[in-house]
Amino acid sequence: MNVIEINKLTKYYGQARGIVDVSFNVREGEIFGFIGPNGAGKSTTIRTLLALIYPTGGSAKIFGKDCISEGPEIRRQIGYLPSEVYYYDNMRVIELLKYSASFYPDTDNKRIYELAEIMELDLGRKIDDLSYGNKKKVGIVQGLLHRPRLIILDEPTGGLDPLMQHKFFELIREENQNGVTVLFSSHILSEVQRICTRVGIIKEGKMVKVEDMSTLGHTNYKKFKVEMLEPQPVDYFNLAGIGDLSVNGKSASFIFNGDINQIIEKLYAKKISNLIVEEPSLEEIFMHYYEREA
Amino acid sequence: MNIYRHEMRMSLRSMLYWTTGMLVGLLFFMMMFAAVSEEASVINLIVSQFPSEVVRALGLSTLDLSTVLGYYGYVFMFILLVASVYALKIGISALSEEIRAKTADFLLSKPVSRNVIVTAKALSVITLLALQSAIYSLGAFIIVDIITGQPYDKTVFLLINLSIFLVGLFFAGLGLLLSVSIKKIKSVLPVALGIVFGFAILQMLNQSLADPVLAYLTPFAYFDIARIINARAYESAYVISDAVLIVSFTLLTYIIYRRKDIPSV
Repeated sequence: MNVIEINKLTKYYGQARGIVDVSFNVREGEIFGFIGPNGAGKSTTIRTLLALIYPTGGSAKIFGKDCISEGPEIRRQIGYLPSEVYYYDNMRVIELLKYSASFYPDTDNKRIYELAEIMELDLGRKIDDLSYGNKKKVGIVQGLLHRPRLIILDEPTGGLDPLMQHKFFELIREENQNGVTVLFSSHILSEVQRICTRVGIIKEGKMVKVEDMSTLGHTNYKKFKVEMLEPQPVDYFNLAGIGDLSVNGKSASFIFNGDINQIIEKLYAKKISNLIVEEPSLEEIFMHYYEREA
Repeated sequence: MNIYRHEMRMSLRSMLYWTTGMLVGLLFFMMMFAAVSEEASVINLIVSQFPSEVVRALGLSTLDLSTVLGYYGYVFMFILLVASVYALKIGISALSEEIRAKTADFLLSKPVSRNVIVTAKALSVITLLALQSAIYSLGAFIIVDIITGQPYDKTVFLLINLSIFLVGLFFAGLGLLLSVSIKKIKSVLPVALGIVFGFAILQMLNQSLADPVLAYLTPFAYFDIARIINARAYESAYVISDAVLIVSFTLLTYIIYRRKDIPSV
């Protein structure tokens, strides 16, 4: 069964493109990763699902009901965590969470305390005095306290330290094991790889691809920048799995996908003065990935 | 109901500050009543030297400053301006403050319809205005009673004060409509001041020209104090005009807000 069904959803802000003909489904019980660079249309899609903005064309259904005409009913079962969290500054955390809970009939406040303890959130503090990361925790608790059947996360991990990110992912995974569906939007591939079962890739307002994580999962891209002591022949690093290779005298940079030992062997044979290995940005991977596909 | 309670909690204190300010202003002006009423003949003489258009524009032609209600009515015109700025301010803020404070995403992702939100916010605005009128009227009653120590018509006094609520509803309704029509209002108070003073200038023009059509354009003309003092009642044509406009503003607010895109933070 599909929890979310999006059909040719289009949104223009005046002349400016938001999303164009976006279609995809999210199945019940899966964690669906929604990835793409900034400005690709992730938030626009999510905000339309929540009826914060109205589509120019197309339609979207959640739990089989239309997002716009039956919005309030649908939103009872949705927990939403936006990328930027803002709450009423002069309220205390517990007051805000109780206000949030008051929108959902029969929620028990026990869940608030449970979640606050997991996220190490001080309920007595004023919202105004909270750091960005702590506000984010408030966001997580208010998004989960009513035990939603669908959780929508829009770039949720910004501001959380690695330990909290870990706890947060544990929490989401736990909810998911209890049958909750998750739509997880992010521009950080490693996050998506960590918990998602399927991913949809959006670029410049259009859905590029929807794919099982297992297909994308075997890809293990790394970005290398090497400074050699001696200039090297242009094709020294030209192995299978290399992309975006550029050699400039002593320095070389490339994206590599494959057995990393091959690169280590190559590097070991030479004297190097500097080496940077990093996660390539999503855009770089997609460029590489889709160039090969084409 | 929870949104209404939340709204009231957020704005009750500010309403009390504004109302206290109005009463302090009244107290200040009423302390000069004894002096003014004694010297009323001299003041009338000075005023009579002004061009009659100016006298009418200032509202001095119809009010007798030597009587309690005449003097109170004159002071009240300024208090009504302050009350109107407050009403317009809360009207504009009710729906747009959530967007400015970026809390709109929180509220609108809850299981509530846009109509429910407008209803809750409009009700809280009405409650605030009613409380303001009630507190002000009570305070004004005590101040005027103690300072003047003279008898005056209590019905007329109440009718004058009640116009705070009826004019306030007009401005609050206008504020609601503006807040959903204008794309982004960065700062509410300057906008509210500008609009209220615009209507006040229109009222001065109206008093000066005594044009029956012009009077419909400004709520300040709907509850003319001299006429209330004479008739001991409001004029039904203006009360109806006020009501029609309030209802239209509110209905349009519902219609526009239903389809409004909430800007991303």
